[in-house]
Amino acid sequence: MNKKSFKAFSPLLLSSILVLSACGGDDSSSTNSDDVQTAGSDIEDATELSFWTFAGTHATFYANAAERWNEENPDNPIQLTVENYPFDQMHNNLLMALQSGSGAPDLADIELAKFPNFLQGDVQLEPLNDLIEPELDSFMQERLDIYAKDGNYYGAPTHLGASVVYYNTEIMDEAGVDIDTIETWDDYVEAGQAVVEATGKPMTTIPGNWYGIWPFVAQKGSDFFDENGELTLDNEENIETLEFINDLVHEHEIAEMAPGGQYHAEEFYGFMNDGGQASIVIPMYYMKDFTTYMPDLKGKIQIRPMPTWSDSDYQSVTMGGTGTAVTSQSENVELAKEFLYFAKLSKEGNIQLWRELGFDPPRFDVWEDEAMREENVYYEYFHDDIFDILSEIKDNVAGIQLSEFTPDVLTEIDSNVMHNVLTEQSHTPEEALKESADTVRQKMESAN
Amino acid sequence: MRKNNIFIKWIVNIFFVFVALIALFPLISLIVSSFRPSSELMRNGISFSFVWSELSLRNYIHIFTESSSYWQWYGNSLIISTLTIVLSLFFSSMVGYALAVYKFKGRTIIFLSVLIIIMIPFEILLLPLYQLMINLNLINTYTGVMLPLIVAPVAVFFFRQYAMGLPLELMDAARIDGCTEYGIFFRIMSPLMLPSFAAMAILQGLNSWNNFLWPLLVIRSNDLFTLPIGLATLLTPYGNNYDTLIAGSVMTIIPIIILFIFFQRYFVEGLASGSVKG
Amino acid sequence: MSGLNIKNSEYVHETPNQNPPPSGRKKKNNSLLRLLNSKKVAPYIFVFPFILSFSILTLYPTIQAFIMSFQRILPGQVEFIGLQNYERIFNQTFYKALANSTMFMLLTVIILVTIPIILAILLDSNLVKSKTFFRSALFIPALTSIVVAGVIFRLVFSESDQAIANQIIGFFGFDPVRWQFTAWSGMFLMVGMAAWRWMGVNVLYFLAGLQSIPKELYESAEMDGANLFHKFRHVTLPFLQPIIIFVTTISIIGGFRVFEESYVIWQGNSPGNIGLTLVGLLYQEGIQQNDMGFGAAIGVVLLILIFFVSMIYLLVTGAFKRGDE
Repeated sequence: MNKKSFKAFSPLLLSSILVLSACGGDDSSSTNSDDVQTAGSDIEDATELSFWTFAGTHATFYANAAERWNEENPDNPIQLTVENYPFDQMHNNLLMALQSGSGAPDLADIELAKFPNFLQGDVQLEPLNDLIEPELDSFMQERLDIYAKDGNYYGAPTHLGASVVYYNTEIMDEAGVDIDTIETWDDYVEAGQAVVEATGKPMTTIPGNWYGIWPFVAQKGSDFFDENGELTLDNEENIETLEFINDLVHEHEIAEMAPGGQYHAEEFYGFMNDGGQASIVIPMYYMKDFTTYMPDLKGKIQIRPMPTWSDSDYQSVTMGGTGTAVTSQSENVELAKEFLYFAKLSKEGNIQLWRELGFDPPRFDVWEDEAMREENVYYEYFHDDIFDILSEIKDNVAGIQLSEFTPDVLTEIDSNVMHNVLTEQSHTPEEALKESADTVRQKMESAN
Repeated sequence: MRKNNIFIKWIVNIFFVFVALIALFPLISLIVSSFRPSSELMRNGISFSFVWSELSLRNYIHIFTESSSYWQWYGNSLIISTLTIVLSLFFSSMVGYALAVYKFKGRTIIFLSVLIIIMIPFEILLLPLYQLMINLNLINTYTGVMLPLIVAPVAVFFFRQYAMGLPLELMDAARIDGCTEYGIFFRIMSPLMLPSFAAMAILQGLNSWNNFLWPLLVIRSNDLFTLPIGLATLLTPYGNNYDTLIAGSVMTIIPIIILFIFFQRYFVEGLASGSVKG
Repeated sequence: MSGLNIKNSEYVHETPNQNPPPSGRKKKNNSLLRLLNSKKVAPYIFVFPFILSFSILTLYPTIQAFIMSFQRILPGQVEFIGLQNYERIFNQTFYKALANSTMFMLLTVIILVTIPIILAILLDSNLVKSKTFFRSALFIPALTSIVVAGVIFRLVFSESDQAIANQIIGFFGFDPVRWQFTAWSGMFLMVGMAAWRWMGVNVLYFLAGLQSIPKELYESAEMDGANLFHKFRHVTLPFLQPIIIFVTTISIIGGFRVFEESYVIWQGNSPGNIGLTLVGLLYQEGIQQNDMGFGAAIGVVLLILIFFVSMIYLLVTGAFKRGDE
């Protein structure tokens, strides 16, 4: 009888045992149990700043940054408290706090797919233009645009998130395929057929969420929205892309559905670690997942740009990623912004992003920096020329267009499109995309 | 005939052993699994075939030695649950009792309201309630967490049902002896309602102990986190900690089972006597 | 079950309305205390905490939610948009959620009413030994939080062919199932989890109901030559009816409000919306996607739905009429 009592919606604790499909982003190593990180608590007169994040390693990163800040700015110390919340709840809480006008922290991490929710109405975040604009050339514009509205930049990027292909060389060698000969998606399919024939293992797996379509769509030069915010979900290119992915699974039979439904599931880590598939298309940040969850693949993985489409030059796509924002409820907006610059936007901060978290820094100008070449776990696990490969393709990285309805599109993709086309095969790619586009259009119309 | 009876008895008892197995099996398998490497478990699920040599106390050693926060959350949960039980039993029993023994204007409306609250999905109240907590300055306090639980409609409903069966002659006798109305309740009637208190203590304790969504909105700082929230922070895809998850889950069930074993006789009796009335 | 009798005056023991009580020990100078202690005022003091908490914590937020359902709410911008939120509700996604919630409700009502009755009758008979043990064994799953239940179900019904569920069906010659990815198995997991957790509670309710049946009735039925079925049909069932109505009503309400079972299995978007429920839709639209007004409108529709279905059920079963007998 207590079943549905007043507050019976109690324990959603499991909330994050599985990755929400929409939370592809930065990843982190196994967390310690410290959900709170403080820095500068021993300093008198330090200004208190609060920070919300959903990733334990980010918390450590910011706490370390605060320590460095206090060393370099003894006259303006800060006391930074970083709280680590479950992914979904952190975003919900932040929305509610901003909506209701109080209770928000000074700074917060907001994940890419959630960011548009925070750009609705009167934006409750502080523009970072005065920090970013002087150094705009160092950044990839598209990456900054993701967190922007009406010319204001609200989020500090965490990484470039360049999508690449990680090849398992053990499997590729067994199939007798030289990965450097794979230049186009046609080559990729051909290589995949050789792999399946020689090893019986799939060339890749397709996640049931937007990671299974968005990178390919964007690489083709298309997107779910155009630059005017019009929905393009069901345009010709996107249908073709989904048909291609569908063919990988059902026509060429070189791909399967990802165990666990997505790339951040424990089931998938186990499958990949056991040499379950020959390659995976995912942004650079996945390096951290490899080193943490797939130790058996050490030394076997090679990173390469994405194969290209015949009608597009893009060799990579910027995907995923968290934007850090300063909230308007902060009592120390200027200080919070300065600290954010110090921690994530400055050159030094960008180098730390690579060193501590293994992220490809969003600032191009540090890629050549000496400090980036220092030996670390990632060079050891993969190979030394990671940034040489990235530098070569840096002019061919596609950006993505976000709209306030992007979360709706991603929800449609996660729950309807991929499932109906790939798993159930109840819809053709065209039917599924058209149907979902109609649903989103209906919502867009009523909102205007 | 007799032989036949014994045969049926066997069948029924075997059937119940089977039912009990189904009921208990998931928990037993969780407890057994908590001694296995956690990420392995997440990858392949619970399996019949496991290697004995894989079993270790590692997960428990981990939460007992490395997770200092875990025990703080445990303590917070204990405090909040205890307070919630005491306060909600106190207030809910008063309300339920009054609804049962007095005839007064508005009684039907109030009782109807109790039923309606049970029907309202909590989610639609979230934002207004949250704003209210901010206005009352109760964010990040235990009071804010407990307030919505203190007068629990289900408990009110149950206490009312139970109090319907109280012998009202006692009330008149007590009045003649000079007892006040409140004295009647606290000194004479509530002792008679003890079994119902035991039953509700378990249900309220269970709810409070497992409550998640609401405390998550209200509590801000780590040192006030309750156990479910604390555990959830370890479970993010951005840093899995299944070691603490599995062993920690086992440890969260234990207080409830102890509470249940302790009160189980009252619980069953209370539930029985409460729900048959009327 | 009188709890469901809205007009329940017959259950209230007559308390004469005159005060003060016939006693010579009143203090003349303390009329305020006397007033507070009068039988007229005392009940209001008793229910005062409820009235307070009801108005602040339920009534006010509910009214707020109703108002919100006619608004578009964005940070810093709130505007009334009339019925637009309601006009948007009725689309494919909503019907999917409605179908899932209704299916869940029907299945849980059937499973969680019939099986507990049978178990309770058997447990109440003298056929079973160690009743306490079985009673407790059935009840203990209810003590498990939904979160832990979610962990367990995920581990048992993992898609790996080494997971227990797949090992068992493999033993019978079936292929491994990706439990969390197909429509029927998704519903099976949700209903299974609810059935596992609530079976014992309902058994206790029915056990309690069985205690109230006078044993003599069975004896006289036996003397009339009634067989087991007849006894069940004509003695047990009528006596259990109030409890059956109570449990069914709670199950209907709870069934429509299903959310946690789905949430702990899929954490949000389920593939093909196989686990999308009405409250899940409310959560997804209103909270995750920050469309509070729309979420509130879904909540209002849900509330009306629950209210109507349970009222119809109660009318059909005559629960109201019984109260006036």
